Amino acid sequence: MASDAPREAQAEVQAEVQARVTAVWRRESTRLVAALLRLTRDLELAEDLAQDALVAALEQWPGDGIPANPGAWLMQVAKRRAIDTFRRNATLRDRTAELARSLPTGEEAQVPDLDATLDHVEDDVLRLILLTCHPLLSPESRAALTLRLVAGLTTAEIARAFLARESAVGQRITRAKKTLAEHRVDLEVPVGQERTARLDDVMSVVYLIFNEGYTATSGEDWTRPDLCHEGIRLARMLAVLEPRHPDTHGLQALLELQASRLPARLDADGAPVLLEAQDRVRWDQLLLRHGLAALDRATAVAREREESIGPITAQAHIAACHARARTAEETDWPRIARWYDALSAAAPGPVVEVNRAVAHGRAHGPDAGLAVLDALAPGALAGSHLLPSVRGDLLARAGRHREAAGAFSAAISLTANEGERSVLRRRRAESLAADVGNAPSRTTSR
Amino acid sequence: MGLVQMDPSKDNPPEALVKAMGEHIEAAIAAGVFLDGGGLDGGAQCTEVRLAQGQVTTVDGPYAEAKEVVGGYSVLEFRSHEEAVEEARRLVELHHQHWPGWEGSVIVRRIWDGPPPQA
Repeated sequence: MASDAPREAQAEVQAEVQARVTAVWRRESTRLVAALLRLTRDLELAEDLAQDALVAALEQWPGDGIPANPGAWLMQVAKRRAIDTFRRNATLRDRTAELARSLPTGEEAQVPDLDATLDHVEDDVLRLILLTCHPLLSPESRAALTLRLVAGLTTAEIARAFLARESAVGQRITRAKKTLAEHRVDLEVPVGQERTARLDDVMSVVYLIFNEGYTATSGEDWTRPDLCHEGIRLARMLAVLEPRHPDTHGLQALLELQASRLPARLDADGAPVLLEAQDRVRWDQLLLRHGLAALDRATAVAREREESIGPITAQAHIAACHARARTAEETDWPRIARWYDALSAAAPGPVVEVNRAVAHGRAHGPDAGLAVLDALAPGALAGSHLLPSVRGDLLARAGRHREAAGAFSAAISLTANEGERSVLRRRRAESLAADVGNAPSRTTSR
Repeated sequence: MGLVQMDPSKDNPPEALVKAMGEHIEAAIAAGVFLDGGGLDGGAQCTEVRLAQGQVTTVDGPYAEAKEVVGGYSVLEFRSHEEAVEEARRLVELHHQHWPGWEGSVIVRRIWDGPPPQA
């Protein structure tokens, strides 16, 4: 008996085991839920069973020690509970019968054995991602459900990441699961055109998760690296699950290249640092290399399959141009402008045009950039700070400081992000100062 | 970053371990956590360049005085120290399972992804 051991020591052991169980859970939950989904065809039930297995681990591991293969242990427990649940639950009786019919008879044979389960694992995870990113759900719900079930985050963690209330996120997840159940969503992994379309949906969700971390749309922090990391992890997962789809590698490349700049995007006081002013020594070289390698894979797969470069991969090429420049001055802007032209052709839209304006402004002078902006339809991007802030930048470069200050004022009134606002305020102050300094010559020359 | 330390006098790892490690790394790539990794030469070509008391000295390895050398490394990305330790534990388990008599350790070190936290 351990009555001699002080209670605090026991509590410490308990806490340590709990931390380890959490770590195991983080690594195993995706595959666990994914395999249980195939078994039960019921997302809610699959998650409940996986959670039950976690509770069992928390109860047993502090006493028995953590098993050598914790994933297999969790799967075994979850499977047993699945069988129990099927037996008990009368409403699921038909499904039990169905399951029993499709399998060899015998006590243990009601559920496929573990080895067989693990054989399917990559398909299972793909099925899970396709389900959590289902077009029936809103983009926010897809993101929350993916973070919960594929990334294994708790509702509280998701709420913190999106600056939402935990109860709201919980409700969103519950509603999403209910929607999927009510519509009896097909769990088969789609093929052909449909598969490509659904993968595009999945990639948008992953991109959305990453972007919410890269440039937070609201709140005081400019970046939330945790969400970036989850986005990258999901993108890497997808590239392994769908290696023949060039844009999955392109997405991985894009996110890794963008993220390589994260350490340089904030100064010592936590203020945002724009690309040109960043200390490139602080860029994460490992992520950068990883991203460039993924981009090479995207290019190779596209060539092999004779597919044209998709919009995501075009964006990754643009990010790579920045990554390869050792100094801001070395940036190959004409090349970036060409990639923006390609992007604009593949995925036209006002946001692309605004960015294309920046690239052409740098490559061929501010007037070339302003010309791209002027070609935009009136009212495009109304309500976004992006257009006026880019116009302000180009006007300032063209020496039209008073107009630039006006554009920055408009941009300031349109962003809710404190970090962006402070950058814009600084730019406006600089333009106003330049305008005062240049006033006589400027008014005579124009 | 995980550093695998081991007795340098050991022969090449058995086929079974190489295979198991291959599968393990595949799984880590599929989980999106693996960045980089590789084996390191036992020490036949190993030199330590050292500065002590203003003198730069070079010492050729392997070191007789050090019982262990770094046999391999992997760079993985995790959300917490505990997750990284769990990975290290699995690596040690794999060696234990597939390489009879192997003894060694896996050291987990964090790579800074930003400036060190302010004190």
